[in-house]
Amino acid sequence: MSFLRVDGVKKVYHGERKEEVIALADMSFDCKDQEFLCILGPTGCGKTTLLRLIAGLEKTTSGRVILDNKTVDGLSSETTLVFQQYSLFPWTNVLNNVSFSLEMKDIARKVRYEKAKHYIDLVGLTGFEKAYPYELSGGMQQRVAIARALAHDPRLLLLDEPFGALDERTRHRLQEELLSIWQEEKKTVIFVTHNIDEAIFLASRILIMRDRPGRIDDDIKIDLPRPRDRRSKDFVRIHIKIREILEQILTVYNQGGE
Amino acid sequence: MAIFKTYTIADIFGAHYSTSIFGHIQLGMLYVIFYGGFFPIFLNTVHGVKSIKHIYIESALLLGADQKRLFRKVIFPSSLPAILTGLKVGLGISWMVIIAAEMLPGSDAGIGYLIMFSYELAEMDILIASMILIGAIGALLSYAVKLITDQTSVWQAKER
Repeated sequence: MSFLRVDGVKKVYHGERKEEVIALADMSFDCKDQEFLCILGPTGCGKTTLLRLIAGLEKTTSGRVILDNKTVDGLSSETTLVFQQYSLFPWTNVLNNVSFSLEMKDIARKVRYEKAKHYIDLVGLTGFEKAYPYELSGGMQQRVAIARALAHDPRLLLLDEPFGALDERTRHRLQEELLSIWQEEKKTVIFVTHNIDEAIFLASRILIMRDRPGRIDDDIKIDLPRPRDRRSKDFVRIHIKIREILEQILTVYNQGGE
Repeated sequence: MAIFKTYTIADIFGAHYSTSIFGHIQLGMLYVIFYGGFFPIFLNTVHGVKSIKHIYIESALLLGADQKRLFRKVIFPSSLPAILTGLKVGLGISWMVIIAAEMLPGSDAGIGYLIMFSYELAEMDILIASMILIGAIGALLSYAVKLITDQTSVWQAKER
């Protein structure tokens, strides 16, 4: 049995005039323990919805999400989600932000600060413990958000385009950091993005989604050796292949739609 | 500003009426302080709680917060700046109104009473001392709120 199984999941929203909007139509896939799964697709294909369903923030219309042999029915301590938008608590400093989940578990202040410092160090922000979120750059804020999620010690870490708002250099650096954290901490990661390069660099497997309604189009295993070289032949070959798939998805949509 | 004035006048008369309702001048005064402060604090608090970003609540829940802690650790600190703004306005109004109410006939104590009393006796030194005292206490009250605001709510001004 796989670690995470998404089994025939469908999600329907009701729009303003009661019309039905199908965000996800019959999605099924498995995810192994300690896998790094990237979900790639055009904007608005239901990637974020999928993550919210897995996290238990929303309920499926039909179908089930099964995590570690248990059906997901609400939030679980096994899972946490890092949002695309900045979500740090602005009223408190980095140290308190990172140790938030530990505070929720009633862990003594000294112990939780000790642990939080470990994760702050892991994302390379030692020395910024007392800084407030407004004093940090976007990249630093997302690092803190990742540290905060890691401190919760989930087995499944969901990331919703966490580096979407960052410039390319910062993004590359954070990708490398995320990979080393993933290897060190032995987490299962599901990473949503619409950036092909990012997906190939990070993933051990890529799911490509199609929109209207959202569903899986392709399932590609990436077994390039790590650390991956963006200029290597294989990298470029996979990049072109995925680009073609995505372009085809968009063409179909353009012909059918407008 | 005009709205402010009518509001305040209603407050002062409130003191007068409530005195006859509550049967004691001190209770009437208490009512005035309460009434003057209540709405600014209440409305600002409602606004503060309503304008919490949903993402903070979801983040807290994802990180294992229960209802009690969600309130203490997220809802309260994030609406604190708005509550303090309400407190600042509310304290100002309460202070203004209580002095005005003390000046009304029927009152037998307080700085407002002292002003009317010294005015009638032409005791200018007491009158001026009272005025300075009113200003000083008003400033002190607002400074106290500012101190708390500086301690807890700097983030709000700096947030993008």
